[in-house]
Amino acid sequence: MSTRDNWRNLGFLAGWVVLLLFVPPTFSIYIRSFFMFLMMYVILSLSWNIISGYTGYISFGHVVFYGIGTYATAILVVDYGWHWIMAVAASGLVGAIFAILIGYPVLRLKGPYFAIAMLGAAEGTRVIAINWVSLTHGADGIAYPNIENSFETYIAMLVLMVIAVIVAYWVGHSRFGIRLNAIREDEIAAESLGVNTTFYKMAALVLSAIFPAMAGGIQGYKTLYIEPESEFFILITIYMKLFAMFGGKGTVIGPVLGAFILYSVQEYTWIRFPTAHLITFGIFIILVARFMPRGLIGFAVDRGWARKGMVH
Amino acid sequence: MAETNEIALQVKDLKKHFGGIKAVDGCSFDLPKGKISGLIGPNGSGKTTIFNLMTGVLGADSGEVVYRGENIVNLRPYQVFNKGISRTFQITRIYREMTVFENMLSASSMRVPESEAREQAEKLMEFVTLTPLRGEYGGNLSYGQQKLLEFARALMTDPEIILLDEPAAGVNRTLLQNLLAHIHHLQEEEGKTILIIEHDMNVIMNHCEKIFVMDYGVKIAEGLPDEIQNNEYVIEAYFGHK
Ligand SMILES: Nc1ncnc2c1ncn2[C@@H]1O[C@H](COP(=O)(O)OP(=O)(O)OP(=O)(O)O)[C@@H](O)[C@H]1O
Ligand SMILES: [Mg+2]
Repeated sequence: MSTRDNWRNLGFLAGWVVLLLFVPPTFSIYIRSFFMFLMMYVILSLSWNIISGYTGYISFGHVVFYGIGTYATAILVVDYGWHWIMAVAASGLVGAIFAILIGYPVLRLKGPYFAIAMLGAAEGTRVIAINWVSLTHGADGIAYPNIENSFETYIAMLVLMVIAVIVAYWVGHSRFGIRLNAIREDEIAAESLGVNTTFYKMAALVLSAIFPAMAGGIQGYKTLYIEPESEFFILITIYMKLFAMFGGKGTVIGPVLGAFILYSVQEYTWIRFPTAHLITFGIFIILVARFMPRGLIGFAVDRGWARKGMVH
Repeated sequence: MAETNEIALQVKDLKKHFGGIKAVDGCSFDLPKGKISGLIGPNGSGKTTIFNLMTGVLGADSGEVVYRGENIVNLRPYQVFNKGISRTFQITRIYREMTVFENMLSASSMRVPESEAREQAEKLMEFVTLTPLRGEYGGNLSYGQQKLLEFARALMTDPEIILLDEPAAGVNRTLLQNLLAHIHHLQEEEGKTILIIEHDMNVIMNHCEKIFVMDYGVKIAEGLPDEIQNNEYVIEAYFGHK
């Protein structure tokens, strides 16, 4: 990737940011909130992609970092009186620490065992969130003071998305990312060729935890109310995974495209066919898996429309 | 390179059992520095296991591998690699869904700047004539090309010792001649120490200065090619049990 390509891509990102900045003054609060969630899913998919797309450790429980972040932010703001921005930043740290704690045991597992262990971590944390009442307020959840904050949270999510895209871009064009790919392709070979796989896997997990935790924090503050079932909802993991896979995992643009397209599709089907929403969405996904197993980017690469590999 | 009798690495009484299988059972040898040596033996005699013990892919039950005065047995593979011992695998382990160039770059040392690593990758791809395929996925290469790629990838950090596990297997004659020329180049021009596991006796007898022979996890003979060819234990090991 040449410096010129980097500048061109940065310009592209800047263009998108400008367009997204026009959303709040132009559209209704409903549309604003749609775009905020869309940006949130871009963040989530890009993050999932670091540990699962690049590194090949498919996480079935990534919502856990998001959920932890919503809780960390809410507790710090509501119970400790922190400014919400500070609380969101601290949630990133909490997500990172949590990733290190669970990373030690779960990153020793491979393939389906890792996937299930992450699912277990998410479900287990949800149960803890329900039962550790003194910290989490239990099943009652936590309510923020009721204020209209859709503008601030929109901007915060936009800023976080820009940072997440830049980090994802760096991963996707660096020797760090290449080494994660090597782990995905053949861990024994990677380790034999100089990659400290323990360190790299941990770094990937931590990176993929920080952004969901912060995005969760912003989302909880925007929604003004959190409770365990919705913040540790398994569908959120499924979405980030599907969006990344639909666009093309192991690429930078894939998860971004996937989230943009599929989140819009699911919103549309939800409005048009509220009862059949999950089924129509499900059929769409099956078709994609059948005809584009490596996502949009894989489809383009196979036809020679895009170059193979991430570093040229 | 000057003729010396220096030792690059010592294997001392290595043992590795898998349940009842004594894959390596008290094996010792001294690898001569700056030379091409061969490690031969019948199927299942423990050759690959020796490589795995030397490179940290497997932990040893007992014994030592001494390199630069340090026992490197039971280090992690990346640590052994960073000390300057690099290897290829009997069944190639190239990264199938990464390009040839990415395969190369993945093995660069993070201590050298990326621009330098890129240059090194380009140079080595040129060396093994894979430059035209630099943007192709590793999995799309022919088996022989994959072996070349694995060989070139093992050279990214300019290692001092290079362990090659059956480099000739499945490689056509032209590619093989190429590969052997490269191996000689590394030894003669760059003073590398090379150890080759190989079943192809032409490769072993014509290209190795020293040969170690294994059977049932132990070294049964060592010597120059013509000594080995006439050694009765070796003849027994290779043809005796049939
Ligand atoms: N990871 C393992 N687990 C169990 N047994 C093993 C393992 N690795 C090797 N073995 C056994 O150890 C013995 C030595 O195997 P090794 O691969 O070292 O032989 P080799 O000399 O390289 O043979 P070949 O010429 O066929 O490659 C064999 O009986 C093999 O089945
Ligand atoms: Mg072998």
